[in-house]
Order: sequence, then structure tokens, then C-alpha cells
Amino acid sequence: MKRKSILSMALLLVVLFSAFPVNAQLVRLTYYYPVGVAGPLARVMNEYVEEFNALHPNIEVVPVYSGDYDPTMQKVQTAVRGGNPPDVFIVEISELPTLLAMNAIEPLDEFVTDEFLSDFFPAFLENGYSDGHIWGIPFQRSTPVFYWNKAHFEEAGLDPEKPPTTWDELREYAEKLTVRDPQTGEVIRWGVTISGGWNDWLFQCFVRQNGSKLIDYQERTAVFNSPEAVEALEFWVDLTQNLKVAPPHSTWASTPPDFVAGRTSMLYHSTGVLTFIMDSAQFDFGVGFLPGKVSYGAEVGGGNLFIGKGIPQERKEAAWKFIEFLTTPEMAARWSRDSGYVATRKSAYEVPEMVEYTNENPEYLVARDQLQYAAGKMMSPAFQRVREILKTALDEATAGRTTPKAALDQAQTQINRLLGQWLQQ
Amino acid sequence: MSSSRLNLTKIRPYLYLVPSLALLSVFTYFPILYSTYLSFFRQNVFTLEPVFDWFANYAAVFEEPVFKIVVRNTVVYALGTIPITMFLALLMAILLNEQLGWIRDIYRVACFYPTMIPMAAAGMLAVWLFNPGIGLINHYLKMFGVPTIEWLYDMKWALPAIMLTAIWKNFGYFMLIYLAGLQNIPGELYESASIEGCGFWSRLRYITLPLLGPTTVFVVIQGIITSFQVFDLVYVMTQGGPADRTNVFVYYIYQNAFRFWDFGQASALTVMFVIVLLILVFILTRFMERRVHYEV
Repeated sequence: MKRKSILSMALLLVVLFSAFPVNAQLVRLTYYYPVGVAGPLARVMNEYVEEFNALHPNIEVVPVYSGDYDPTMQKVQTAVRGGNPPDVFIVEISELPTLLAMNAIEPLDEFVTDEFLSDFFPAFLENGYSDGHIWGIPFQRSTPVFYWNKAHFEEAGLDPEKPPTTWDELREYAEKLTVRDPQTGEVIRWGVTISGGWNDWLFQCFVRQNGSKLIDYQERTAVFNSPEAVEALEFWVDLTQNLKVAPPHSTWASTPPDFVAGRTSMLYHSTGVLTFIMDSAQFDFGVGFLPGKVSYGAEVGGGNLFIGKGIPQERKEAAWKFIEFLTTPEMAARWSRDSGYVATRKSAYEVPEMVEYTNENPEYLVARDQLQYAAGKMMSPAFQRVREILKTALDEATAGRTTPKAALDQAQTQINRLLGQWLQQ
Repeated sequence: MSSSRLNLTKIRPYLYLVPSLALLSVFTYFPILYSTYLSFFRQNVFTLEPVFDWFANYAAVFEEPVFKIVVRNTVVYALGTIPITMFLALLMAILLNEQLGWIRDIYRVACFYPTMIPMAAAGMLAVWLFNPGIGLINHYLKMFGVPTIEWLYDMKWALPAIMLTAIWKNFGYFMLIYLAGLQNIPGELYESASIEGCGFWSRLRYITLPLLGPTTVFVVIQGIITSFQVFDLVYVMTQGGPADRTNVFVYYIYQNAFRFWDFGQASALTVMFVIVLLILVFILTRFMERRVHYEV
């Protein structure tokens, strides 16, 4: 009897311990993520997290939807200053230097292998590197693409299957596509809209197309008033002020509805709005490369995954497992289909569901194919301020208040004052 | 016994003030003092640990070309919205103080209802109303032959669009205050005035407006504070653009602190803001209150 009760006690203990060993060492991770389209994509993300948690009984990822890119960065910065950084988070790729300056992130060299990295599109990886280390892994990534309204092309006597491929063609097409009120001369339909809000990003693409760049992060140089940049801005002023075939200003959120409503015939915007346009446009439209000048050119955009500085080793390892989970070819393909972002890895496009999907919707391949002409996005410390300075220069010039040269010279002076310390090092 | 009671009556008022004083200290006075302290330190993305730097932050404020635009926008916004809001509020209050039966109730609700909408929701609503292509406002303007205005896209029109939204959003609140003021005016005054043969206009001129004096002072001060503090509408509708033509003081402070992560500069701006507001309110209360009190 006694022996029996001891045995059963032991058995009970074994059962108890085997039932709870997970809880004894449960690793809990906080995960901040922003998404452009609030409702549906936040739900998709929560689904992914639940799947990961189900697969890893000893890890619990707690997803925190943190709004847009700006609020997310602010939350991360506040948390870092408070000494309690999130374990994993996604922020806009150009924030890397600011994160480094704040000592907010861990290098990921110990986790990545060459084999892992070689599958990512090189342009997407560029913004993850600094000082010879890798800090960020591509997740929700995009590039700007060119949308055109095929019905308007036909109306204007243009071949609806042939988008403009050069700046000169773009100007010519835009003139043909613009519709004015015969009595008042007022523009009823714009030929082309280069969306505002992130127009700094689009401008960087134009500078790339003209064979230059504004900031070289690795070399620590910043040239905003190069002849190539001035020429690009002169082109914008030509479209907006001289020919009046493009609106001088707009906002990022309002131009896709404008395109869908037929208020503009051609649109520069992120590949991220492709799904929206596909769902809402009542007409045939095309998606193409951004027209080139010296060559085609674009800068990538979007958000990378980071691991917070100074978290315990076991949480770091768990965080990396989560990053690996989110970036497998299958997941990259799935996220691309769910969101419209470009899948970050080459092999993602070989996943059967993705092959089927892109066969049905070849428009989704344009952004991927454009990647061969794309480069990393402009970045520097105090990036948000750099952005504002550039945007002010662009907006003043397209409003006709100052010349492109003067606007960019002014920007250069401000950039030198702001980044002086960093540029000299 | 009697002396301790005397002491208690002396102390009592201060005891009553303790709760609000405690809250104000924690959430208002301490932050003001701490901002003042921080404003003397350089602290930004390049220098994470604060470095004492005298008035460098204040000097840097004036070096930014945007600052001039921000000040201009804030002043234009205040001068544009306060008088119009006050005029509308007073007009509606006087009209709705008349005996109009059930129509009065409907109009009172209609005028006050924008005040009850959350500011962010009102901003989103306005973004759609002002959309140049598919917005209702341009749709109706077109009926009257007004050419398309680009509103929030346009450097000239973006700030007026925000001002119009703010006027629509705020005048109901001030109308309510004016209504309360009107109801405090003793009816005998109007009675004797009508016996003397005064019409609507002379009653307005010689009774209503003068006796609304204290209410007007309150409305002006309140108007200045709310208009200088405008943030939500800008954040939702334009984020300060295009080309900073809708960037106002508080939004600029927010940009410096939380987007540019430049706490030194943001603190300097905050201190300047507090000082300007204090001076304005001081002048107003000093010079206006003296002239507006009538004993009945």
C-alpha cells in the first residue's frame, strides 16, 4: 500500500511536470509591427503569429499593432529610451542609422548564413547593412511602379499596351493625356501624377534614373544639388509649372483614389497599392517600370525586421526563430499575396501557389522584375529631418516659388549643417 | 480654541486647493520646469546623452527657415479662426435665444453637434469633403461655377481648409457659452427697454453686447488657447504639408521631439510657446477685464 502510494505520487509528479515543462521556460516576445492598410493586414499578421506560437510551444510572441511607420518608430524609440526595447520589430528601412545612433538594435551576424542571405534580392538587403554588420532582415518591401489607364491611352490615340519608357516620352504622353475645360482652360484630367507625401522617395528614383544619388551612406557623402538632381527637379517643374500636365502637390493617400476615379491618366506610386487599384478600377490599367533617363532606376522601400538591443540570449534566439519563420520562401510568398508587397526572396516566386497567382496576375511581377534596376533607399542619421528638408525643396520648386537649383542649393546648406558631424567622420 | 479655529479658516481654502494643485504640479508645472531645464541641453540623434549648451537650442530655432513659416501659419490660423468663430457663435446664440419653438431645438442640436465629434474623426471627414476630385465641397462649388480648388494639395488653400474645418468644429462650443451668457442677462432690462420703445437693434447695441463682455473675454482667451494649440486637425489632414504651409507651432514641436528626436530643440520651442501664451493671456485679462464688467 505504502509502496503503491509512493509510486502513484511519483507517477503524478511525472505527469504534472511533463504537462508543464513548457510553461516553466516559456519565452515571451514583444513584437511591434506597422502595416499600411490597418484593418485586414493586421488580422493577417495576427494569424501568422498564432501559427508561429502553435508551432513553438515554448515561445509566445505578443503582437502589438503600432499604426503607421512613424508612430511605430516613435514607440520603438520611446521604449528604447525607457530601457525596455521590444524584442522584435518592423520599422521603415531608412531608420537603420537612427536605430544605430540610439544603440537600439542587435547585429544579426551570428544568426545569418551566406546561404540564407543569397536568396534575398540584393537591392532589398542593401539597407540592412552598416559598418560591415547586418542589422535588418527584409520583410514588407516595395518599390514605386508606374500605373497607366489604358482607356485614356486609347482615347488619346496612344497604344494602350505601351507605357512611356523615357522621361521624354512621359512628357509627350502626359501632354496628350491632359484634358482641359475648353472654356476656362482648367485641368479636368491630369496627364500624370507623381504622388506627394513620399515624393522624396520618388524623387530619389528620378535621380537614380539620371545616373546619380543623393546620399551615399557607406561613403558618408550627401550631394543634393548635383547637376543630375537639378535636372530631375527641372523635369518635375516642367511637368507641373510650364506644361501644367501634373498636379504640383498631392498626398500619398489620395492619389490612388484619383487614379481610380480617372482624374489622372498615369500614376507614380508604390507597388503596395496595386491590390487596391485592382479591386477598385472600373477600367483596364497597366503596371510598368518607372520611365528611365540614362537608365531605368528605382529605390526600394518598406520595412525590415530588427531585434532589440540587450535582450537576454534566449529571447534573442527565440526572436531569430520568429524572423526565420516570417521570412521563409513560403511565408514571403504568402505575405506578398496577402498584402501586395514584393516577396523578398527569389525562391518565393517558385512556391507553387505563388506561380499560380502570378500567372493569373502578371502585374505582380513588374515590381520584382524592376528590382534589377533598383538600389537601396536613401538613408542617414536624422533621416526624418533630411526627408523634411528634401520635401520642402521639392514642394517649393514644383509650386514655382523658387528655381530647382536654388531649392536644392538651400537643401544642401541645411543638410551640411545637420549632418556635418557625420559627413566629416 | 478660538485661535485654532481662526487658523483653520485661514488654512481651509488652501486645503481645498490641494487636490487640483497636486494634479497641476504633476502634469503642468513640473513638465514646464523640466522642459525649461532640458532646453539648455543639446540632446538629439547625434548626442544621446544631454550636453549643457547654454542658449544653443534657442539660437538653432531661428536658424531653421521653416520656423518663420510655422509662426506665420500659427498667427494666420489664430487671426483667421477666432473672429469668425466668435461672430458665428454670437450670431447663432442670439438667434437661437429668441422664441422659435421646436425649430430652435433642432438648430441648437445641429450647431452643437460638430463639437461632439472626436477631432480625429472630424479631420478624416474633412479630408474626404475637401478631396478635389471626388469631394462634396468641390462638387457644390462647381454648381456655382467656382473653378476646381485643389484644397489640401494647394499651398494657398490647405491652411484655409483646416481653418474652415476648425471653425465648423468649434463654433458650437462657443455658441453654448454665449447662450449661457445671454441667459444671465436679467429680463427686466429688456422689459424696460421695450417700454422705452427700443427696437431689436438698440437692445442688442445697448444691452446684449455690453453685458456679454465677461463672456466675450472668456471666449477670446479660450479661442486663443485652442487655436494656438491646434494639432489634431493638422496631424490628420495634412501632416504639415504641402511645403510646411500648414505646419503650426504645436505640430512643429511634435515633429522636433518625436520625428526628428531632437529634444533640446523641442524643449526650447515649448518654452517659447509657453512664454508667448502667458504674455498673451496676461495682456488680455489685464486690459480687457477692466472694461467689461457692468454692475446691474
